Amino acid sequence: MSIANKADYQNFTLLSYHHIPSVHHLEIFEEAGGYEMMKKCFTLDPEKIKEEVKNSGLRGRGGAGFPTGVKWGFFSKDRNQRKYLLCNADESEPGTFKDRYLLEINPHILVEGMIISAFALGTQRGYIYIRGEFYEQAMILEKAVKDAYKRGYLGKNILGSGFDFELVVHRGAGAYICGEETGLISSLEGQKGRPKLKPPFPAIKGYRGLPTIVNNVETLAAVPWIMRCGAAAYKKWGTEKSPGTKLFSISGDVNRPGVFELPLGIPLIEVIEKHCEGVREGNKLKAVIPGGSSAPIFTAEIAKEVRMDYEDIAQKGSMLGSGAIIVLDETRSIPDILKWTLEFYHHESCGQCTPCREGTGWMEKIFKRAEQGEGKLSDIELLDKVAFNMRGRTICALSDAAAMPTQGIIKAFRGELESYIKIQMKNR
Amino acid sequence: MSEVEKLPKKMIKLKWNDKDLEVPEGTNLLGAALNNGIKVAHYCYHPGLAVAGVCRMCMVEQQGVPRPFPACNAVVAEGIQVRNDTKQIKDAVEWTLQFHLLNHPLDCPICDQAGECGLQDYYMKHGQYDSAMIDKKVHKKKVQDIGCDVVLDAERCILCARCTRFVDDVTKTHELGIVNRGDHAEISVQKELHNDYAQNLVDICPVGALTSKDFRFKQRVWFLEDVESTCIGCETGCSVKISQNKSGAYRVRPIVDSEVNGFWMCDDGRKIYKHLSTPGRLVGPMVFKNSMFLPVAESEIKEKIKSKNIKFILSAGLSNEEYQSFFKEFKNIKNITLYQLPKTGAEFDGILKRADKNCNLRGAQKAFKLAGADSSEEAMKKMLDTLTSQDALFVVMPEIVYDHDNYASFLSKIKKAGLRVALTTDDMRSEFSDFHFLLPVPTFLEKEGHIINYQNKERKLNKGRSYGASDRNVGDWAHLFH
Ligand SMILES: Cc1cc2nc3c(=O)[nH]c(=O)nc-3n(C[C@H](O)[C@H](O)[C@H](O)COP(=O)(O)O)c2cc1C
Ligand code: SF4
Ligand code: SF4
Ligand code: SF4
Ligand code: FES
Repeated sequence: MSIANKADYQNFTLLSYHHIPSVHHLEIFEEAGGYEMMKKCFTLDPEKIKEEVKNSGLRGRGGAGFPTGVKWGFFSKDRNQRKYLLCNADESEPGTFKDRYLLEINPHILVEGMIISAFALGTQRGYIYIRGEFYEQAMILEKAVKDAYKRGYLGKNILGSGFDFELVVHRGAGAYICGEETGLISSLEGQKGRPKLKPPFPAIKGYRGLPTIVNNVETLAAVPWIMRCGAAAYKKWGTEKSPGTKLFSISGDVNRPGVFELPLGIPLIEVIEKHCEGVREGNKLKAVIPGGSSAPIFTAEIAKEVRMDYEDIAQKGSMLGSGAIIVLDETRSIPDILKWTLEFYHHESCGQCTPCREGTGWMEKIFKRAEQGEGKLSDIELLDKVAFNMRGRTICALSDAAAMPTQGIIKAFRGELESYIKIQMKNR
Repeated sequence: MSEVEKLPKKMIKLKWNDKDLEVPEGTNLLGAALNNGIKVAHYCYHPGLAVAGVCRMCMVEQQGVPRPFPACNAVVAEGIQVRNDTKQIKDAVEWTLQFHLLNHPLDCPICDQAGECGLQDYYMKHGQYDSAMIDKKVHKKKVQDIGCDVVLDAERCILCARCTRFVDDVTKTHELGIVNRGDHAEISVQKELHNDYAQNLVDICPVGALTSKDFRFKQRVWFLEDVESTCIGCETGCSVKISQNKSGAYRVRPIVDSEVNGFWMCDDGRKIYKHLSTPGRLVGPMVFKNSMFLPVAESEIKEKIKSKNIKFILSAGLSNEEYQSFFKEFKNIKNITLYQLPKTGAEFDGILKRADKNCNLRGAQKAFKLAGADSSEEAMKKMLDTLTSQDALFVVMPEIVYDHDNYASFLSKIKKAGLRVALTTDDMRSEFSDFHFLLPVPTFLEKEGHIINYQNKERKLNKGRSYGASDRNVGDWAHLFH
């Protein structure tokens, strides 16, 4: 067997199999080293696995960056109690397409990651909630799950370990809010995709009122590598507070957009210049949205200084989020970005809590009025105030996700918004 | 109830702003404040429904907790200190109110809820009358008749989800839901309301989105006064209040009574006010002459019954006090029986309503027993079978009748009595034409007294305004026999 068919655990944690042709086939994945860790983990004490994950410092890759080991620590240790492991594959944050890239080429890395995690957590049942639009990916996943069942890696008494784990792929119907973990749970329960009040948190009372862990695709897919190479090796990458590697989805005005696995803490400018081969057509960099549509925008100046880890981005006023980098060059209009952001969140608010339901609609209306040439300079203040008052007061973080980028744009590009309002008034 | 539940609950001490509270363990945090007379703006919380936490008006800060949270989604804990009077929270609440008003039509002058509207209360207090929004409001359907005498105005709805939780959790009839997302979300009527508790929706809707067809536009609420009493609609005996003023009685609403009805009442009970202020209420004794009822002197009645054999059929809806005074005054009369309303509908509907419509059967039975009289239906039937022209039969008419056929057949059997006198709270209806005389007695709202419900719990009847001759109760008519 050629070296090309072996996994590259040296340079990648998540994409270590991605160079292997047809690695979505179970045999090819397995030949390359896949499912080895699953087998090994069945011989370990589940608590040891949890400890290793905790020591690795892995942080949730769905957006909030909550330490996975800590979340798992809140979970019931009673192995007989009915509990669930849900994989969040709803990936709907604009700019984000890393889970899709991971899954469509290598679905088994997620299946293996889920089996190990389920064994560690003592969950007997798991669901992969996949975004409705990801039809092809869902088919690929379903085939992988089916093959894993055939090999006896899923189902009752897996490989004689005494551990049972049933895994089901469930397709969503295309709503951003179903990516929010409790919205996801409602949807999976057959209800409208509306987030639930917290507390209780899913780890205590989740799917069907039972303890439930929800993790992002990338989070779960990192587990086999951590078990193979160890927490210490994982921490060699990244920073102290942001260990490991991360998938970055890079879109916008670069010469080579795509998904890259890079160590956390990498300078943003290095990502753009080296991995994405620079801003397109030699244009000047104008701004970067560093963590998906919810993340406040960076001006070029800040973008050139920031390092891509949770703490540095936060310190500079934005967030790493899902690791979706949207690069904007000098040809782009900031009001366009704002309009598109406001439309998106207005459309996606589930509407149950008042500040979000009314605020998302109101912000869009204020902008649209300005677009019609009926704006006032004071509308910028109003927009900022509405956004401010949508923050930290709602059931889920969608309200914040709509408010933060709005306030971010006002802060970074107020001048451009002011001239936009004036120009639209003149052109009326 | 198990023994454990009966044990008094542990008391929890906490602080809300500067006030010390002491409440039973397990109490909802917002409930604890409200029960202690602290005013906290809230729209979605209702103690009788599951927590929704959607209006975001009841936000509080707690020492040691990093983020503000809604008090309605918390339970009390020993020693906690919460505040909702900080600048941060007050600003938040004001803005959330502003968000509520954003798409609200603010048509208070033509809204039936005006005066008891949660929005109006708070925006008057917070001084937010002019919505800062010059942007167009989202328009939704105005007046929709959604069944069971309930009218929906979707534009006024603030999506607190009280009504949907009520039909999902209390009646389990699921007629209402919320469809669409964001600010296009609205109440959708999946099917016409078809439950026996629909008027509670009008009570719990914090704004004028759900109003009662029965009450709509009849009175401005600030012209009404409430009298607390007990529903006489069935043996459940729900605690209620009746809204009235000098021109009449207008509606009945439940009062919280954890032992009997909790937070609700049924739609039958909503109708018990209807006869109180009808224009035809008796103003004094009446005689049936030339096919109509005319005022008559008491002496004429006295004269007529003098030589007769006096018999009485009481109703099972009088107060304990009335039975007592009756049996005291009519000690010498041996022929006394009881008419019981027949059972109607399911024995118990699983919520409140019961088939036995006699609101004070237990009180009646107790009084009969004490007086050595027979309250059984057999005794009453026997009396009816043996009536003769020598008898003067006095019938205390039931105040509320459900089964009119049964009632008519009862009335048809009294005709053998030579003289027939009705003691009634009612007006002069045609079905009384078989009586020679009518005597007015007070309605349930025109007397002080008690009844005993199906659980053997005593509940009070209170005296409100009177709209007819109501100064003499059944026992007071004894002077006719002296
Ligand atoms: C509006 C909204 C949308 C979200 N969408 C996603 C999503 O598409 N995928 C995802 O993994 N997490 C999403 N999240 C984050 C989840 O709520 C949750 O934090 C995450 O799935 C937990 O997994 P992790 O700890 O592995 O990151 C979203 C959160 C919000 C508030
Ligand atoms: S914040 Fe917005 S999306 Fe989240 S629950 Fe509230 S209304 Fe729904
Ligand atoms: S109709 Fe009334 S009770 Fe129902 S959601 Fe709207 S405001 Fe709340
Ligand atoms: S259940 Fe009986 S007592 Fe209660 S409101 Fe209905 S009729 Fe009246
Ligand atoms: S009353 Fe607490 S959120 Fe509505």
